[in-house]
Amino acid sequence: MQQREANRQRDRVPGGVSRDWHPPAADTCGDRIRDAWRRARLRQWPLLLCVLFCLPVATPSAAAEEDVRPEQVQSGSLLLRMKSGYVIATRMNTDIEADVSGLAARVRVRQVFRNDGSEWVEGVYVFPLPDSAAVDRLRMEIGERIIEGEIREKEAAKKAYTEAKEAGKKASLVEQQRANMITTSVANIAPGESVTIEIAYLETLKYDGGNFSLRFPLTLTPRFIPGTPLPGRKGSGWSADTSEVHDASLITPPVVTRSGDHRVTFVANLDAGVPLRYVASRYHPVDVTNDANRYRISLSERDVPMDHDLELTWKPATGSAPKASVFVETVGGEPHVLLMVLPPDVGADAAAVMPRELVFVIDTSGSMHGTSLEQAKRALTLALDGLRPTDHFNVIQFNSVTSTLFPSSAAASPRNVSVAKSYVASLKANGGTVMRPALERALKTPAYESHLRQVIFITDGSVGNEDDLARLIEANLGSARLFTVGIGSAPNGWFMRKAAEAGRGTFTTISALHEVNEKMGRLFHKLEAPQVTDIDVDWPGAGGVEPYPAKVPDLYAGEPVFVRARLSQPARPGDVVRVRGDSAAGTWSSELRIAAGENAPGIGALWARARIEALQDDARRGADADATRKAIIDTALAHHLVSKYTSLVAVDKTPVRPAGTHLSKEQVPNLLPYGQSHRAIFGFPATATPAPLQRLIGLLLIAAGLAAIAVARRRARHAEAEPA
Amino acid sequence: MQKPNRRNRFVRTAIVSSVLCLGFWQFGEGAYIPAKAWAAQELLQRAWHKAGKGISRPAPWPWADTWPVARLKAKGGDVELVVLAGGSGRTLAFGPGHLDVSALPGEAGNSVIAGHRDTHFQFLKYMQVGESIQVEIPDGRQHLYQVTDIDVVDSRRGSIVLDTDDAMLTLVTCYPFDTLEAGGPMRYVVTARKIF
Repeated sequence: MQQREANRQRDRVPGGVSRDWHPPAADTCGDRIRDAWRRARLRQWPLLLCVLFCLPVATPSAAAEEDVRPEQVQSGSLLLRMKSGYVIATRMNTDIEADVSGLAARVRVRQVFRNDGSEWVEGVYVFPLPDSAAVDRLRMEIGERIIEGEIREKEAAKKAYTEAKEAGKKASLVEQQRANMITTSVANIAPGESVTIEIAYLETLKYDGGNFSLRFPLTLTPRFIPGTPLPGRKGSGWSADTSEVHDASLITPPVVTRSGDHRVTFVANLDAGVPLRYVASRYHPVDVTNDANRYRISLSERDVPMDHDLELTWKPATGSAPKASVFVETVGGEPHVLLMVLPPDVGADAAAVMPRELVFVIDTSGSMHGTSLEQAKRALTLALDGLRPTDHFNVIQFNSVTSTLFPSSAAASPRNVSVAKSYVASLKANGGTVMRPALERALKTPAYESHLRQVIFITDGSVGNEDDLARLIEANLGSARLFTVGIGSAPNGWFMRKAAEAGRGTFTTISALHEVNEKMGRLFHKLEAPQVTDIDVDWPGAGGVEPYPAKVPDLYAGEPVFVRARLSQPARPGDVVRVRGDSAAGTWSSELRIAAGENAPGIGALWARARIEALQDDARRGADADATRKAIIDTALAHHLVSKYTSLVAVDKTPVRPAGTHLSKEQVPNLLPYGQSHRAIFGFPATATPAPLQRLIGLLLIAAGLAAIAVARRRARHAEAEPA
Repeated sequence: MQKPNRRNRFVRTAIVSSVLCLGFWQFGEGAYIPAKAWAAQELLQRAWHKAGKGISRPAPWPWADTWPVARLKAKGGDVELVVLAGGSGRTLAFGPGHLDVSALPGEAGNSVIAGHRDTHFQFLKYMQVGESIQVEIPDGRQHLYQVTDIDVVDSRRGSIVLDTDDAMLTLVTCYPFDTLEAGGPMRYVVTARKIF
């Protein structure tokens, strides 16, 4: 049955997810062209007239641009990069297909690399994935042939890839740069050829406030890289490696503002299991069809540019929302369990509500320029409106420098709130993303004994030193809580989640103005107080259970308990898991039966992914690096997962590139996220004037005029002479 | 016979004179840009001296929306330029502009100054690695930088690292220097490190 109905229902999502939000990607560019045209018409129409004059002159100038002689430039590396990268031959488009059932999604990302040039190329593409994705499959498709990737330790995989590349064989390598950032390399794409790389991953759904959601990042907001440049570089990104971000050159792919490629197609098959109230996409128009509780969601439009994240969200019909579920997969004789329990919504204990000190930290760096800053300002203004008279508050903004509104937190009097509102309205975005001093100021200032400090951190998280910042938050948190609000078309979701985990708060993502009210409303509800604390999970059987997270964090309104665990022995009939915690209504507990014999594929890999993340968290907190590395490699190899220390590699058997032919390496750029300004981030103003051209045109015109007069004079003389 | 001839001559005269007018106009415009750039610098030097006398953010002319942030000396004093705040096209017509996203000259971090290749920053063409650039800031302090790198970058791909621990100075202009085309993507980037 065609269910366009669901599509219409999107308008009923709390806060109103409008279906009319079509990102006008070409708008700014169109404006620019119109502006230029207007200017050309007003001021420089003679230039247009004189195009004819200029053509022979303009051609050598264009040639001069290509002709960059090495002796003119002392440092060669940039020149080389520029020459090879001047025109990128490698084109890339993406197809995404997701199968969702239970609490997990299996997603296939197909990247089609096409070489439009006349040389053999190696394409390198750095791209984002969801921050908790467990990447477990790589497939290289060359025409009809399919080559499956294998998991190896990072260095071994790199070596296998490089050897194949040099031998002229087709090869592909998938490496992790960050938990949510992956690099695909494809070697030896012949001129005119296409190679498809399919990467598959598993992900747990997000379930919050009765809504399920699944996000697909499609581009990267350029990361801010602090530190001094180091000699040598690992990758070919726009930043050098620096003292604070040792791999900066690997995580800073080039950015383009426009592209004829970078298109995405998307299809999701959602087996909801229960009737749904709605299925919607937050930022893209979609078509939804269904057969009972099985839904198929696809993009309504063709040629959708990869310039902002895609997010699906759905809500079960009233009364059918899952309260608790358990999924089991047995891998190697050991049951792996994914458990979800939703505690009853009891509200916060009114008596326990403490007066709060809210510290709003807002990112006003260059990457926030444009729509992101508008979203951030709206969110912050709304938050200021939500202050209670007993609260204290302060606003801290940071870019390259940090500044605060009040010297120390002030009472939320109407006067102070209105001062803060006009301060927020006047904020402008530019400069670097130097977070450390802002976070230090927010967390280290001595707190009031009587007040509960809550830091609301509003940013796009476009930083390269995520681990350092998480460590800083953990070390200085004390009794405070930190909540992150991720802003923009393509926020760094991994940083948002890690910062919120370190700050024992929650994270919220706002990617469009129309969802500010809805998302901030939900956040305020959470800010009231955690609803369930001191959560314990009792597993069946004696010991040997490995759950992640090891200690379930406090839950805020609408949040479920999510645990992945490996049991030491097969589940027996009648085995139950007992979950208990403290809430305003007293002790809450819930019992779940683990059904034996059932098998939900992927739970093992999700557990392994959670284990790797926990190990990395421990390493950040100072656990032995070698032991961590070994444990991560063991887990990743056992479950075929890409990690910090393991990569997937696929190598074809027969060499295809003739010996002696040049192979050029090309970095496939990312599209600049929708609403951002390239200039605000990279800052290159126009630095040429039309003066020389105008002088030349002027001289040519004067010469032409004088020549015409001379010709006319001579003709007139001849005309006078002839009759005589 | 006579009539069409006269009309012809009229049309011809009109075309020739309008071509001449256009020519003078374009030439004038082309000459006005460097003249404006030069005259503005004269006014700016005056504003700079005022800045030295404790007036913060002195406007170089009454309706100016920018103000001098530094004075730059290079080539042994042959080049002396007052740097303005901001990198907009309007500012760059009058002097090199300091990008307000970047650090202030003399401070830790990268201070980025952009200038037109046809006027103020034409001299960058002759800069060599190892040469020094002197920067004076409004409070009278002098900083000395030494050129460490000269690069040509594609502004659509390259970028400038803004947050460096050392005090850096980056001078940016369009590239190539001797082309007629304005608005090309290439930039000539001179990087200097502070010595003291």
